[in-house]
Amino acid sequence: MTSQVVPVGPFDPPDVNWALVSPKLAASRLALTAIFLGIPAIGGAVAAILSGIVWLWVIPAVFVAFGLWAVWLIPRQVRAVGYAERADDLLIRKGIMFRSMVVVPYGRMQYVDVQAGPLARAFGIASVQLHTASPSTDAAIDGLTPVEATRLRDKLASRGEARLAGL
Amino acid sequence: MTEPVASPAGNDVVPADSDVVVPAGLTWRRMHPVTPAVKGWKIVAVLLVIAVQQVGNNVQEAGKLLHGRAWLIGLAIIVGGALIGFGYAAIAWRMTRFAIDDEAVYLHSGVLFRQQRKARLDRLQAVDVVQPVLARILGLAELKLEVAGGAGSGVSLAFLTEDDAAVLRTELLARAAGVRRVEGAVAPTPVPEQNVLEVTPAQLMVGMARSGATIVLVLGVIGLITAVVWSGEIGTIFVVVPATFGFVAFYWGRFSREFNFRAATSPEGIGLRHGLLEARSQTVPPGRVQALRLTQGPFWRGPGWWRVEINVAGYSGTEGQSTENVLLPVGSRDQALVAIWLVLPDLGVADPRALLAAGMDGTGEGEGFTTMPRRARWFDPFAWSRTGFVVTDRALLIRSGWLIRHLTLVPHERTQSLSLEQGPLQRKLGVASLVVHSTPGPVSPRIPHLQAAVAGDLLTEQAARARTARASAGPELWMSLDGDS
Repeated sequence: MTSQVVPVGPFDPPDVNWALVSPKLAASRLALTAIFLGIPAIGGAVAAILSGIVWLWVIPAVFVAFGLWAVWLIPRQVRAVGYAERADDLLIRKGIMFRSMVVVPYGRMQYVDVQAGPLARAFGIASVQLHTASPSTDAAIDGLTPVEATRLRDKLASRGEARLAGL
Repeated sequence: MTEPVASPAGNDVVPADSDVVVPAGLTWRRMHPVTPAVKGWKIVAVLLVIAVQQVGNNVQEAGKLLHGRAWLIGLAIIVGGALIGFGYAAIAWRMTRFAIDDEAVYLHSGVLFRQQRKARLDRLQAVDVVQPVLARILGLAELKLEVAGGAGSGVSLAFLTEDDAAVLRTELLARAAGVRRVEGAVAPTPVPEQNVLEVTPAQLMVGMARSGATIVLVLGVIGLITAVVWSGEIGTIFVVVPATFGFVAFYWGRFSREFNFRAATSPEGIGLRHGLLEARSQTVPPGRVQALRLTQGPFWRGPGWWRVEINVAGYSGTEGQSTENVLLPVGSRDQALVAIWLVLPDLGVADPRALLAAGMDGTGEGEGFTTMPRRARWFDPFAWSRTGFVVTDRALLIRSGWLIRHLTLVPHERTQSLSLEQGPLQRKLGVASLVVHSTPGPVSPRIPHLQAAVAGDLLTEQAARARTARASAGPELWMSLDGDS
């Protein structure tokens, strides 16, 4: 459970210190999954009990199976998210099965967003999103502590301002 | 550079024009007084289209209506709509005014919801002079400024007289280029342009006839004839009426938009002019092209024709919808090379022709191309030996496509961000895809299935190259260095 997800090869460039996101992100995502899977599972179970039809138990069973898979998967996914502030750019790494790593040069950032929805606030996390002139730049870091999110935003903003060079 | 990189509030997006501070002493101007008459027609046109559609949907019902008095009601609605349309346009004209200074263009508009917009000239990406049919007849033109702030961030000055639009265009480009206006000096005269590319209507038509749409059309007609013969019912033909309209609209749209296409070069940048009914004259200043792509369909291979499209921040037109992003609708190989030269005069290699030839129709490793490794050929059995890239001092060239050939060029200094992607199958074969993020437009550069180590190195190297290229790239105010121009 506690084993680190360490990608190798091109997704692990040398001399990069990866910062990991808060484990609270896993808790928050699991809570959301529990809501979405739990309600139909309970509904299915109630229907099975009330009607007495045995095969109706398949419905809650399927949802519970998905739930167990999520419990196994989500913490791993969260541990696979990493970001690194380098001298001139920010690296964000994601994914286990489908991996991606994005490089955003500070000079290309147009603005930085910090967001925290109701669920994220309840778990005490926030997300930072970087925007460049390209909408395909998928540079969001979920699951940062509010302190870290603010620090990152200010740091990115000041670094970006220093290096901003048009488009 | 006072542009806020991050919104100070953090969690909300502050657009660049939210803190519009209008300096005192600006001369405010209005649009041409005929503007409401031109704009008001839009509402009438919409009503007419609805009316025609209703009639088209149910011809019999419409016939009954024509016998009765009901058509009077329809006419009344259209006349009423026209009055409202022209009235609204007149009020909107009263509320609209604009002013310019050395830094920005200010536009105040809106009847119910007032809007004050400031477009910074140092962020100017392109200037278009657009003349819809009606405006063209009346000698009016719309001046559009794109400032790369996302959808709808540009400023549209509609309508001005043709002469005013031309003078204003020149002046705005000069100011955006960093040429400061001295008090009392005469307005800058339009700079001489030199036409470097011209597409004749015949060439355009032949190009369209050999396009992919024609293949679909021919297949469709064959299918239709077969169906009619098979079923023995001529009525089957009516099923394809909507599709026929679609094809006609597609061909007509393309032909009328790309008619009389000319590309020119001047100190102001790349000038593009085209249009049969709606005339459009675009100016893209130097260094504003974010990416460029050459395309060649299977039936263009014989004559060696290419289509060239570009990404410019602010031009967000999707493919087939507009021609803003077209640098060359159809052209010979030499014309395509000229189009590349317009954007990238220096490719940073000793023999650019050989390199581009390899990029246009080559396969394999010639001219320094790195292709997909052989073990990954199952991902792309036809194009695997063609898919590849080469890096020059100035740009990244991506070659791809087997049936439809592509060559994509991204200048290093225009790279926004990069990403590396790898799925489970790719990991098994030790390959990864590299994606270069560009501004919205038809070009989305991507190199699929490269050897993982190569892709990883390329990611790091491109990030570094983009940085150094930007540091040494020309200034945003592209004429501010030579002050006498």
